Amino acid sequence: MRLSNVVRALHRHVHAAASPGSINASEIAHFSRLSSQWWNEQGEFSFLHKMNPVRVQFIREKLLQVSREEKGEEASSSTKILRGLDVLDVGCGGGLLSESLARLGANTTGIDASESNVAIAKLHASTDPKLDHLSYVHAPAETLLASPKRYDVVCSMEVLEHVDNPASFLSTCAELLKPGGHLFLSTISRTPISYFLTILLAEDILRRVSQGTHTYSKFVNPSELVSFFQKYCSPSSTQSESLEASGTSQLSSPWISPHASPNAPTRTEAEVRGLIYNPLRARWILAPRDAWAATDCNYIFWIRKPY
Amino acid sequence: MLFSLAPTTSKSCRAALVNCHKLSLCRPRRELSSAAHEECDVVIVGGGPAGLTLASALGSSQISSQNLRVTLVEGGDLSKVRQWSPPPGSFSNRVSSLTNASQALLKDIGAWSHVDTQRTAPVEEMQVWDGVSDARVTFSASEIGLARPQEGMARITENLNLQRGLLRHLEQLPSVQLVEKTKVESIQRDAEERGGWPLVHLDNGKVLRARLLVGADGFNSPVRSYAQIPSFGWSYDTQGIVATMVHPPRGAFQSPNTTAYQRFLPTGPIAFLPLSPTTSSLVWSTRPHIASALTASEPAVLASMINAAFRLPELSLRYLYDRILEAHAKGTPLTHAEIQQEILWREQSHAIDPNSAYASAVVKTAEDAGIPPADSESVPPLVASLQPGTVASFPLRFNHTETYIGEGHGARTVLVGDAAHTVHPLAGQGLNLGLGDVECLARCIENAVLQGGDVGSYTALMPYAQERYLHNHALMGAMDKLHKLYTTTFEPVVWARSVGVEVLNESDSLKAALMMTAGSQDHKVDRSAFGWNLAAKGFEGLAAGASAAKFLSGGVTGMIATGLQGLFKAASANAAKGN
Repeated sequence: MRLSNVVRALHRHVHAAASPGSINASEIAHFSRLSSQWWNEQGEFSFLHKMNPVRVQFIREKLLQVSREEKGEEASSSTKILRGLDVLDVGCGGGLLSESLARLGANTTGIDASESNVAIAKLHASTDPKLDHLSYVHAPAETLLASPKRYDVVCSMEVLEHVDNPASFLSTCAELLKPGGHLFLSTISRTPISYFLTILLAEDILRRVSQGTHTYSKFVNPSELVSFFQKYCSPSSTQSESLEASGTSQLSSPWISPHASPNAPTRTEAEVRGLIYNPLRARWILAPRDAWAATDCNYIFWIRKPY
Repeated sequence: MLFSLAPTTSKSCRAALVNCHKLSLCRPRRELSSAAHEECDVVIVGGGPAGLTLASALGSSQISSQNLRVTLVEGGDLSKVRQWSPPPGSFSNRVSSLTNASQALLKDIGAWSHVDTQRTAPVEEMQVWDGVSDARVTFSASEIGLARPQEGMARITENLNLQRGLLRHLEQLPSVQLVEKTKVESIQRDAEERGGWPLVHLDNGKVLRARLLVGADGFNSPVRSYAQIPSFGWSYDTQGIVATMVHPPRGAFQSPNTTAYQRFLPTGPIAFLPLSPTTSSLVWSTRPHIASALTASEPAVLASMINAAFRLPELSLRYLYDRILEAHAKGTPLTHAEIQQEILWREQSHAIDPNSAYASAVVKTAEDAGIPPADSESVPPLVASLQPGTVASFPLRFNHTETYIGEGHGARTVLVGDAAHTVHPLAGQGLNLGLGDVECLARCIENAVLQGGDVGSYTALMPYAQERYLHNHALMGAMDKLHKLYTTTFEPVVWARSVGVEVLNESDSLKAALMMTAGSQDHKVDRSAFGWNLAAKGFEGLAAGASAAKFLSGGVTGMIATGLQGLFKAASANAAKGN
């Protein structure tokens, strides 16, 4: 599970203090060196590179499914589903996911607390003539709450299991969404199998990852995410830039109806899918819905903010 | 890596790109500002069948054509191919046996309708036999479980006909830019801070900055040199002779000229591929000295030798080669009458009935032939003459690169077709392997576009290498072993292979297996059949792994593995049907 190296790096930088200052030539050389790590597809981050198409596939298919249910089959073109949407990638790292979303036509903003990550992401994107709709911000996600800008889609991949206060992190992501917006998260479950794969095997036995990278107690189960959103209600929507602000100041209903089982949220409100690595084919696959034990290690989560 | 092209005088439209890496001249480069670079998503180098098919596939895919800027660069003048219009009844000497999978690809991308199918012929039956033991296998399209047996197991198509069809199709695809009569001067790597993308310098002064650079540029691939992809291989001590053969039509009591014949002689296989009722194409692999003597002879002598090579016992063929070589060395080549005399004498000494189909010394006309002999369909029709100007020969070689994707400093490159692999033309698989590559690469590119991926990235291209490398390697290994197995007259090997071939003929499923691994199965595999295919892949690996040095055991292992693999494939096909 070299993947954990990625998140370890992310983890380090999420908490790194922002250091102001403009970029100079020696730093560019330095970033280029680091960039070759983030973007070395067969190096440290190879697992993340291989996982990326599957994450995009899930995002695309989910948006397409929702759009088809609301607007009908004809209105939704499968290749243009992200075109024109405002997308925020929280903890963008080197920009693996951000670039893909931007290439699909989304107005993408990648945000990362690490200045070097953002510099690397910017440098890499500058070599690609097709990334016009992509920008990066070096800041903690919380700072965006001060601006009125809200997003159609917020993604945060492999970040949640490394933050100190997941509840506050989730609230921030949720508040950055427009009403009817989509939140995508991917993380690791707290189960014996994930302990075995990511900590015992990867860190203690194979030593592919330095010990102490993952903290078992910080892993988040899918049912816990569902339970969180069964209690979580959006704050008053008057400050939202939605065209249809309700006008009333009462607290809206929870994002997932409280009656649903935490293991099986209502299909139109949230979804959990396992991400499984097949070492023989060297690629990740998106497990089918409700596949047994599929979400016991890596998984991806979708939830929609109510209107 | 810097290389420069020598002025070319070759007629071949791909020749412009050949041999350039050998002339690594460090010519001072003119400075070009990055503003002069033309941004391209996919640059294809080489306008041969593989390159043109890839351009067509990307141009006709809705997803790829809307999102990608595709440029094909070709050094030669393609207008000659575009305007190719041979008189009816005359055929080019370079033909390929397009499998159903290759035809399905061409139909999918819309190019097949531009191919003149009047000039192609289906292969409805295939007869393969051992030149020494005469053990024979017969494949028939109606027996091997094809979806549409009336369309044959393959279609013999002139390469020019295919290329012309692809060019006509490309004219209707505005998203593909075709740059012809323009040579690639050099390929360089862009600055590190600009991502190190390949810069393709053209001799018209333009520079293309390629997100993905595809090498469809043949055996001496400049793209492969740029990507520094090593390759391994050897040349067989063999030349391939090609020619277009003219013969009388099959009679009323015989099946039409839709049978392909292949006889495995110790000097190499000789193949007869039907093109029309009265025309067929020759591919004769033989020792270089025999090939040069044969091609130097007058065409009528070569025609007589072709007839003899399909009919006479191996011993007599050796005698005939000696006579021809002797006369060639003396500078007094044999005349047609002399060679016919020699053949007649050999027939008499083997007591071959002059009325049998195995007799070729006395030419019978259609009128006095009457009811044909019972064995008339076990050998091809008697060749009457060779179409003038169609006799040619070329060396045969085996070559496979170590990988299909460039890495590190050669990143953003991928190889298809002959640039990646050159095979013994034993089963006519060279072009089919290339088209299989193209189908897979076009699919991987489309998938990457769909998920917002970078089509030049290793992640986007890896599935292509995963899918094609072992597949091609197994097939190439099997063909190589078949070649080595059949070019021996060593008695126990002859016995073993005759038993092998006859065992194959007895078992329908094994025969089907042999046909399917010759590439006729469809590329689109049902997902439910995945497990079975995985098992079959295991046997492919086994076949590929067998040592070529132990050619006998290797060959037999390969054959058994091929058989088992076929059984698994048949099982998976059944599983797919069941669903």
